[in-house]
Amino acid sequence: MPFDFAVVLIFLAVSAGFVWAAMFVGKLVRPHRPDAQKLQTYECGERPIGAAWYNFNPRFYLLALVFIIFDVEIALTFPVGVVARAWVEAGHGLTVVVEILLFVAVLVAALAYVWGRGDLNWVRDLEHEAPLPPVEPPPDAALTREVHS
Amino acid sequence: MAGTTESLARFAPELVLSATILAILIVDLIARLQPKRPSLLSGVALVGLSAMAGALWLTPTGDTSLFTHLLAFDGLARYFKGFFILAAALGVLFGHLSDEISRSRLGEYYIQLLCLTLGLSLLASAQNLLMLYLALELVSLPSYVLSGFRWWDRRASEAALKYVVFGGAASGVMLYGFSLIYGITGTLQIDGVAAALTAAATGGQGIAGQLGLLMAVMLSLAGFGYKVAAVPFHMWCPDVYEGAPTTFVAFLSVAPKAAGFAALIRFFVVGFGQPAPGAAGFPWAEILGIIAIGTMTLGNVVAVTQDNVKRLLAYSSIAQAGYLIMALAVGTDEAIRAVMLYLGFYLLMNMGAFFGVQLAGGERLSAFRGMASRNATLAITMAIFLFSLTGIPPFAGFIGKFYLFAAVLSVGEPFFYALAIIGVLNSAISLYYYAKVVRVMFLDKAEEGDGVVEVSRPASALLLALAGPTLLFGVWWAPLADLIDKASSILR
Amino acid sequence: MIIGLNHFQVVSALLFGLGLLTIITRRNAVAVLMGVELVLNAGLVNLVAISRYQTGGLDGQIFALFGVVLAAAEAVVALAIVLQLFRARRSVDTIDVTDMRG
Repeated sequence: MPFDFAVVLIFLAVSAGFVWAAMFVGKLVRPHRPDAQKLQTYECGERPIGAAWYNFNPRFYLLALVFIIFDVEIALTFPVGVVARAWVEAGHGLTVVVEILLFVAVLVAALAYVWGRGDLNWVRDLEHEAPLPPVEPPPDAALTREVHS
Repeated sequence: MAGTTESLARFAPELVLSATILAILIVDLIARLQPKRPSLLSGVALVGLSAMAGALWLTPTGDTSLFTHLLAFDGLARYFKGFFILAAALGVLFGHLSDEISRSRLGEYYIQLLCLTLGLSLLASAQNLLMLYLALELVSLPSYVLSGFRWWDRRASEAALKYVVFGGAASGVMLYGFSLIYGITGTLQIDGVAAALTAAATGGQGIAGQLGLLMAVMLSLAGFGYKVAAVPFHMWCPDVYEGAPTTFVAFLSVAPKAAGFAALIRFFVVGFGQPAPGAAGFPWAEILGIIAIGTMTLGNVVAVTQDNVKRLLAYSSIAQAGYLIMALAVGTDEAIRAVMLYLGFYLLMNMGAFFGVQLAGGERLSAFRGMASRNATLAITMAIFLFSLTGIPPFAGFIGKFYLFAAVLSVGEPFFYALAIIGVLNSAISLYYYAKVVRVMFLDKAEEGDGVVEVSRPASALLLALAGPTLLFGVWWAPLADLIDKASSILR
Repeated sequence: MIIGLNHFQVVSALLFGLGLLTIITRRNAVAVLMGVELVLNAGLVNLVAISRYQTGGLDGQIFALFGVVLAAAEAVVALAIVLQLFRARRSVDTIDVTDMRG
C-alpha cells in the first residue's frame, strides 16, 4: 500500500526539480541589470500596491475570455486520451491521431482568426475596420484605444 | 446501426457545413482589405450551403443510427436538415441585403449563423440526451451573440442579456431534468428511455418513481419550451425580437423553433411513446395541450395591443408555436406530418414577413403608413405573408392550419375538441392584429415625410420568391405533402 | 456513515435550489450568471454520481465533461455580453437596464 504512493512522491520530486532547474538555468543565462521598476513586486500590468477594488482595464476581461475558451476546450481531448490505448491496440491508432489533429486544427483556425482581427492586441487597431454605422456612437469609443500605462 | 465509416458518409452534410464555416473564417481573414469581400463571403456561404444540400441529397436513403446511436438519420432528420439549409440560405441572403450588419463584420455574422445551422442540423438528428444538450447549446450560443450583434444599440445589448440569462437558466434546468431521467431510466438513449419506461410500467413502478419522472420531464420541457418560445418560457421572445437585428430575427423566429419541434417530436414520441394511451401512466397529451392553450392564447391576446411590428410578429410567433404544440399533443403520425407541413409554410411566410420589416426601414406601425403608395411590391407581398400567417384561404397558412386542426379533431376525444375550438377562436383573434397592419399599409394615407421606400432589385426579387410559393402552396400543396408523407419516418 | 448516491443527490438538489434562488433574487447580472452556473453544476453532480453509483459505465461522466466545457463557453458569451452592456449603459443592474416591456 505505501508503495502505491511512491509514484506520487516521484512525481512531486520531478516537478519540483523541474521548477528549480528552470529557474537556475534562467539565472545563468539572463543578463542581470536591475532597476527600480524591475525590482517592484510583479503584478501583471496592474498597480502592485494599494486597494485591489478598482476598475481593471476592460482589455483584461476580453483576453481572459479568449483564454478561458481555449483553456477549457482542452478538456474535450480527455475522453480521447482515455480510450487511446485501447484504440491503438485495436489498430485504430491513426484514427485517434487524426481526430485530435483535426480538433486542434479547428482551434488553431479560431486562434488565427482572433489574432488576425487584432483582438489580442493590447491597443486595438481599428483602422482596418469600416467606420461604425451612423448610429449613436459607443459612449466610450476612446476607451477601446486607451493605452494602459 | 451503421459503423464508423458509414456513419461518416451519412454525416457528410454536417462535415460540409463545418468545412464551410472554416472556409469563411479563413476567407474573412485573408480578404480583409478586399473591397469585394462582402460578395465573396456571401458567395462562399451560399456555395457551402448548396454543397451541403447536395451532400444531403446524395446520402444513401434508409433509416439508420449513426455513431453508436448518437444521431438518427431518418426521414424526420432529413426533412429538417433540408429545411435548415433553406432557412440558412435565406438568412445569408437577408444578411447580404441588410444595412444593419456592417460590411466589415459580415464574415463574423455568417460564421455565427452557420454554426447555429450546424447546431440545428444536429438537433434534428439527436437521439441521445447528451447529443441533444450539445446541439441545443450549439444553437443557443450563437443566438445570444447574434442578438447582441449591434452592441452599441442599447436595446440590442439589453436583449442579448435577457436572452443569455433566461437561456442559461433554461438550459441548466433542462440539464437537471436530463440527469434525473438518466437516474430513473439508467440510460441516455432516447429510445432506451422508452424501453425502460415500458419495463417499469409492467413491473409496477412506485409512486415516488412516477413523481420523479414527471418532475424530470417537466424540467426537461423548460429547455425545449424555451427554444420554441412556449408559455411560460416565452418572456425573452418579444424583447429579443425587438432588440436583435431584424435580418437575424427572420432566421431566429423560424429555424430554432423548427429544430425545437424536431427535438420535441423525438423526445416525446420516441422517448415517451406518446400517443400510446397513458404512456407510462402519464397524461403527456393533456400537459402539452394545456401548454398549447396558454401559448396560443397569450401570444394572440398580447399581440393585439402592440404597435411595434417586430414585437407584434414576436407575439404572433409565440401564438404559432401554440398551434404546433397543440398538434404535438396529439402525437399521431398524422399530427407529426401536419407539424412538418406547417413548419414548411411557416418558413416562407414568417421569414418573408420579417424580411418585409427589414426592408420597410422602420419597425413602428407608423413606418408602414400608406405603404401601398410608397412601395406596392412590399405592401402586397407583406399582406400575403400576414394573411397566410392568419390562416385564411387561398394562402399556404390555411392549408397548414387545416392539416393541424384535422389531426387534432381526428382523435375524437372531448379534450381535443375543446383544444381545437380554442385554436379556432385564437385564429379569429389573430385576424384582428394581422389585418391591422394590412389596413395601415393599404387604407391609411401616407403623411408628409413618408417618402417612397427604396427596395433594391434583388431584395424585391427575394420578396416575390417567398410570396410566390406562399400563394402557390395555398392552392397546390400536394407536392410538399407527398414529400412529407415519404419523409416522416422516425426511428423508434 | 457511508457516502452514497443519496448524499450526492441531496447536494445536487440543494445546489439546484440555491442556483434558482440566486437567479430569481439577484439584480446584478454577474451574480445572476453565477446562479446559472450553480444550476448547471447541480445537473453535472447528479450525472457523475448516478453513473458512479447506479448505472456504471462512462456515459454520465462524459456528459459532465462536455457540460463543464459548455458551461465555460456559456459563461464566456454571457460575460462578453455583460461587458458590452456595461459599455453601452454603464450599469449591469438587471432592473436599471430594462427599457423594453410589454
